[in-house]
Amino acid sequence: MTTITIALSKGKLLPGTEALFRRCSLPFPLGDSRRLVVPARNFRFLFVKDADVPTYVEHGVADCGIAGRDVLLETGSDVLEPVDLGFGRCRLVVAAPAGSGFTPDKLPIARVATKYPRVATAYFLGRGLAVEVVKLAGSVEIAPGLGLADCIVDVVETGRTLLENGLELIDTVAESSARFIVNRASFHARREEVQELLRTLQGGPS
Amino acid sequence: MNGAFRQTQVPPGVQCFVGEEARRRRRIEEAVVSAFEGWDYEEIIPPIFDYADVFSGETLASKTYSFIGRDGSILALRPDFTSLLAKIAAGRLRERPAPLRLFYSGEVVRYEPPRAGAQSELHQMGLEHLGGDSRAADAEVLAIAAECLERTGARDWVLALGHVGVFNGLVEGAGFNPARVEALRDRVEAKDAAGVREVLSGSDLRVAAAEAIERLTSLAGGPETVLEAERIFGFSPTASAAIVELRAVIDALDESGLGDRLAVDLGEVRGLDYYTGLVFRVYAPDLGFEVGGGGRYDGLLARFGRPLPAVGFMLGLDRLAVLLERQGGEPETPPARAETVSGRDLGRALRLARERRKTGARVRFGDGEAR
Repeated sequence: MTTITIALSKGKLLPGTEALFRRCSLPFPLGDSRRLVVPARNFRFLFVKDADVPTYVEHGVADCGIAGRDVLLETGSDVLEPVDLGFGRCRLVVAAPAGSGFTPDKLPIARVATKYPRVATAYFLGRGLAVEVVKLAGSVEIAPGLGLADCIVDVVETGRTLLENGLELIDTVAESSARFIVNRASFHARREEVQELLRTLQGGPS
Repeated sequence: MNGAFRQTQVPPGVQCFVGEEARRRRRIEEAVVSAFEGWDYEEIIPPIFDYADVFSGETLASKTYSFIGRDGSILALRPDFTSLLAKIAAGRLRERPAPLRLFYSGEVVRYEPPRAGAQSELHQMGLEHLGGDSRAADAEVLAIAAECLERTGARDWVLALGHVGVFNGLVEGAGFNPARVEALRDRVEAKDAAGVREVLSGSDLRVAAAEAIERLTSLAGGPETVLEAERIFGFSPTASAAIVELRAVIDALDESGLGDRLAVDLGEVRGLDYYTGLVFRVYAPDLGFEVGGGGRYDGLLARFGRPLPAVGFMLGLDRLAVLLERQGGEPETPPARAETVSGRDLGRALRLARERRKTGARVRFGDGEAR
């Protein structure tokens, strides 16, 4: 058995990932959080930014990884997504100032603030609507109130952040949850190891 | 901007090889070409550009560098060899009886957004088998692909086989619009069972058919996977016929000694839109993307007026070179040390150099130390 490299995010999916690995009796190294490459049994873990997980897996630097569907939609990475892990559920939505009566078709061009420019562009263009994407790195919710944009495309879990910032949900773009992803070449060239890991994660006999 | 930066900066996506790298690539190309020639394939050096229509097809259209010729016709730098070879087989070689066995080795140019393993300039080495018995041709082409990999010294590679007839057979008659078929193909390719369910939700597809499509995401493994597929897809005549074809090729390859190199992947439905039957990709553990691939395209030659069944494949020289380097193959043996030939009498020195060259010596002429 060769070593399988798994890319994991240190972000919001980390608690769910840890719980999953413990439940499946897979090793899960934590403790010294400054270490980014951690070997454990026949695995090697890479801890990277959540948006970078699909990149490591697509290039084959990692054989597998765990990434949110929202991130996969945004990066458009060519990876296999064989398991919906069920945790980290959220929605990618369009939201606008409450009571503003916003609908994108009323504007000649909708200004959209988002961390997901690819997803936002596809959503609006796919509906025949012109769009100007304002790419932000965070605190997207405050953009419409400050006049930077007419609406936002962002992830919501409970919708409380929207409410607190005076926004209301206009439409759901996509549902998201954590996915176990696999590199295309590893899937075939490391078939035994990858298949065993998939069986373990899906709760079958290992 | 005064443009001076262009004297040093290279445009993104292009490559340049020097000395040892170039020699390594030449060795790999020689190994692959010797396999092509050993199976009695004939070389074609097609034009670097042709009318853009030759390359039409949805997958390539958006990646083609096209330009307007002096006479107003739309031309394109070749983004792929297969269409060009099909055109030549149906045109200049139309009197040649089938089967035709043709190979090529050269660059194609594609506009590729930056992603793993994608350059704009790619060196492809491939062949096309046009006409003849289709099952035998499929098996032959896979055996040649295997020999190419063996000759380059690559290790642990796998031929992952699929058949587009399985997906097409399951989807045909469902009455889906093209957008839905594409969404479905995209999720099957990603082996995303949850995504497939989402795309199929609300459709009036029979439960058995919907479940079969979902199973495409998990039907991947060793050659024995094809037996399981036979059971599952028995209800669809098109899918069953595809599995029968696939199994015939797998059995032949297995008997020829390639059994442990084979994988079956019925979710492998992406790729160029002209494939109509067997499709396959070459994977190796030290490269995150495929080394090459190919498949059967029985409809393409009819477009050029000579309907012939056809199968072909190509290996990416750039990718093979990276793979072999990562697998730590034999280091390229440096060329023999050159001997310096010089002298104050230019004519005499040159005569001496020419004599030494006739014996095969590597000569560095003029002053300066030999490398």
